[in-house]
Amino acid sequence: MAIVTNTTTGPERPHHTLWGDAWVRLRRNKLAMAGGIFIIILALAAIFAPLITPYDFAHQDYTAILQNPNAKHWLGTDGLGRDVFARLLYGARTSLAVGIFTQLIVICIGLPIGAIAGYSGGKVDNALMRFVDVMYGFPDLLLVILLKAVLGSGIYQLFLAIGLVAWVNISRLVRGQIMSLKSRDFVSAARAMGGMGRYITWRHLLPNALGPIIVSITFNIPRAIFTEAALSYIGIGVRPPTPSWGAMIHDGYDVIFASWYQVFFPAIAIALVMMAFTFLGDGLRDALDPKLRH
Amino acid sequence: MTALIEVRNLKTYFHTQDGIVKAVDGVSYNVNRGETIALVGESGCGKTVSALSILRLVAEPAGKIEAGEIIFDGIDLLKLSNEEMRKMRGAKISIIFQEPLTSLNPVLTIGRQISEGLEFHKNMSTKEGLQEAARLLKLVGIPHPERRIHDYPHQFSGGMRQRAMIAIAIACQPQLIIADEPTTVVDVTIQAQLLELIRNITKELNTALILITHNLGIVARYAHRVFVMYAGNIIEHGNALDVYHYPCHPYTAGLLTSVPRLDESRKNRLIPIEGQPPDLIALPIGCSFQARCAYAIPQCQREKPPLLEVAPNHYAACWVSQKEQRPWQKKSL
Repeated sequence: MAIVTNTTTGPERPHHTLWGDAWVRLRRNKLAMAGGIFIIILALAAIFAPLITPYDFAHQDYTAILQNPNAKHWLGTDGLGRDVFARLLYGARTSLAVGIFTQLIVICIGLPIGAIAGYSGGKVDNALMRFVDVMYGFPDLLLVILLKAVLGSGIYQLFLAIGLVAWVNISRLVRGQIMSLKSRDFVSAARAMGGMGRYITWRHLLPNALGPIIVSITFNIPRAIFTEAALSYIGIGVRPPTPSWGAMIHDGYDVIFASWYQVFFPAIAIALVMMAFTFLGDGLRDALDPKLRH
Repeated sequence: MTALIEVRNLKTYFHTQDGIVKAVDGVSYNVNRGETIALVGESGCGKTVSALSILRLVAEPAGKIEAGEIIFDGIDLLKLSNEEMRKMRGAKISIIFQEPLTSLNPVLTIGRQISEGLEFHKNMSTKEGLQEAARLLKLVGIPHPERRIHDYPHQFSGGMRQRAMIAIAIACQPQLIIADEPTTVVDVTIQAQLLELIRNITKELNTALILITHNLGIVARYAHRVFVMYAGNIIEHGNALDVYHYPCHPYTAGLLTSVPRLDESRKNRLIPIEGQPPDLIALPIGCSFQARCAYAIPQCQREKPPLLEVAPNHYAACWVSQKEQRPWQKKSL
């Protein structure tokens, strides 16, 4: 018996919680770690932007307009003579904040609604999901613009407007996950031990649905960043001169034949962030599935 | 001695698009304190549904308990509120499911899953629950329990998972455990170990056990009394050894001749029961087994046989048997 135990247990494992184990597994995934580290570095750079670049994102230098990258302006200057590198760094603040805060709102609304609909089923499910369907029927951007008009300008209103529209996707996902999970045997087993509906949903169902939820959120972050970019383009996103990557791309369109750098650098920034979140999301999905250990 | 649980005329139906499936159609049985009874029958005969009905865990809205009483320790479970019923589950009555892998949550450690019931019903903290979980794992024969409580289900072998399920079931020291084919998915050697374990634990804790199985060999060894089910009805019941040696219903006799027995000559061929069980949506008027029965008489087609005492403490629902003729018994002797 002792021999059997040793072969199955292996060496003593230091981490016991779901998150502890997930962290051990995540650390072994190089791409996910690279993505995570990139996001952390970007976040730090955004926070400490004044220490990294001497330029102000709003300072216009008319003696240096549309410069190519050079020693003084690493990534050149835009049509108003503003340093592109500085604007990228400060723009990261906007973009990351939009990405993260909208997803927080999405989780706070979409997760409970999806979970309640999925677990309760019947009339509750019907009522909630018809509401979601109505929300879903509108084009996302139109609804965001509408909400933004109602809520007023400002960056918090922007988070709220995007978040209030984007939660329908995740609530549908969560509902589907919960519905398929709730017919699993371990849910019957938990009920047979006297588990309550709410307890079973939070303790048994949601942790099992975490993988798809996290992947969906990591894909939604770049989407929110794009939405913000689109809103900035039509003038109801962040207010100039506050930089955002989306606004920079659209500003760059006007001068794309004079200086393609104006579109290139912010586009690369968005692409890199999207890739980083995708790698991190994939890594997290694998890490959070205990069956994929080894 | 009054029975710990008495199921009276239980009817559990499933409402499907094709009609009403009478999965359990008027079943009565009782279990005394500390006693082990077996519910036996082939797949789809209603044995699992009748046991799930006790816990009121039949899948709604399709499944519904239509009629009957389930008196547990003097209380009719079917009259309890959902909240009162929830407090019974796990605390007074628990269940060991057939598939330990799917019945354990893959993302929770074994220890957390064992301590769950203790936290619900005994107001234990997670820490106390985990300590108790380690003690329980030791009780069901898992070595290094302090370490294994932190493992996930996939790190356990099939037999160990079922041991963990047993630990979950006994955690709150229930008065009744339902074991739904607990050994179907493990190999024969582990099967015997698990059944011995269940027997020892129920004996030690004086827990009553409803053992659901299709293996009559297990029944003769581990159960005191046996109830044979066919098409949603109990068609025979009596002391396990009586039923095993002197089956009074041709279906039971058929079950016995269709499984290998060590106490029989190897030259005897296994005799399968021909045909299929009847459609539970449209049961025949007479005996539901008559279409497959080699001994059927005209009366079997006309009237449904009642469950009557055919020998001391031995009941059978069979017209032929009630006429004191049991041609099948010669074969099995």
